[in-house]
Amino acid sequence: MSIINYVNKEIQFKIVYYGPALCGKTTNLTYIHSQVAEAHKGELVSLATAADRTLFFDFLPLNAVVVKGFKTKFQLYTVPGQVIYNATRQLVLRSVDGVVFVADSQWDKMEENIESFKNLEENLVRQSTSLEQIPYVLQYNKRDLSNPAPVHYLDYILNNRSTRVPSFVGIATSGQGVFATLNAISRLLLQKFARENEAAAKHQSQPQTSSAPATTALSGIAAAAARR
Amino acid sequence: MPILTVEAAEGLLKTLEDFLEQSEASFALIIDRGGAILSQHGQIPPFTDPTVFAALAAGSFAATRELALRVGETEFSALYQQGRQSHILISSVNEDSALVTVFGPKTTLGLVRFYSVGAAKRIAVVLEQACQASQIPIDLDGSKILNGSWETFEEPASRD
Repeated sequence: MSIINYVNKEIQFKIVYYGPALCGKTTNLTYIHSQVAEAHKGELVSLATAADRTLFFDFLPLNAVVVKGFKTKFQLYTVPGQVIYNATRQLVLRSVDGVVFVADSQWDKMEENIESFKNLEENLVRQSTSLEQIPYVLQYNKRDLSNPAPVHYLDYILNNRSTRVPSFVGIATSGQGVFATLNAISRLLLQKFARENEAAAKHQSQPQTSSAPATTALSGIAAAAARR
Repeated sequence: MPILTVEAAEGLLKTLEDFLEQSEASFALIIDRGGAILSQHGQIPPFTDPTVFAALAAGSFAATRELALRVGETEFSALYQQGRQSHILISSVNEDSALVTVFGPKTTLGLVRFYSVGAAKRIAVVLEQACQASQIPIDLDGSKILNGSWETFEEPASRD
């Protein structure tokens, strides 16, 4: 669930880029960081090995204004893809709001894609959540390499749940599909937020027998604004 | 996840103000274990983005807690980094959040640790109430997300 701060007027979402080793998760973040205007991004932090393999996570904070009067913060994380780092992946997934699953399109990586996707599902269950509850999108990366599997096949093995999710072809090294993927997951997160907001509004409009905490809080906003 | 109403946010801020005054630490952050900032107060260390600081602190705390679990420790209440000028203490608040304190030569670890225990308890109470609060609806009129299609982040190629 997103974090809403009514004093700072901020909404925070955590997005995790998940996928097998060397599929291009870090490349996605590096490209986003290189293209987003300074005013809308923070520092890109990579906790990597000397060989530039992600050891713990990469982190990139982004800001946007999509909800009137509120600053919307997206915190992008990657996980280390190598199988041995599962404990680390579980830590990074904590409090996740949305997931981008980056698959490697090469034929010989299909087993790793499936393993990683299953691992994502298992790790979400450990956090008492699931892909039914968390918005996610798929990116079929490395389409420029010589032996990519067809998109319909990738959809068949990774996008075959009861609800199909948006999927994008990508060449993260050149940026193709990177922003389409980021915008899709942020749109899903904000739509979910809007639905929850609508439900909260309906709940608030129902007659209440006792003094409503939400009303008190709203009065508090006015009071705080007046003090400022 | 806590809903940071004005009451909750001001309660957290007041706790941090009191804590920094008593302990003479320079900067304190309340973070959730996922790496998000819930509240902050004090002098931000030079060249430090609090957002990045929070993400790294959450990762560091979680990783060290895992290490402790693997050597059979079931209790893990704090993590301390000793520097030359600036030191960092990360204290557990509850299962979902932590208090991160940066302090310099003006004070001592013992003093910061002593006051952090009380501060963490007060923070835990505020956060428990915040977790039970209902989401306050936001007026979305005029917000982009109500339009049929929008892009949160502009594609580089579509810029002027």
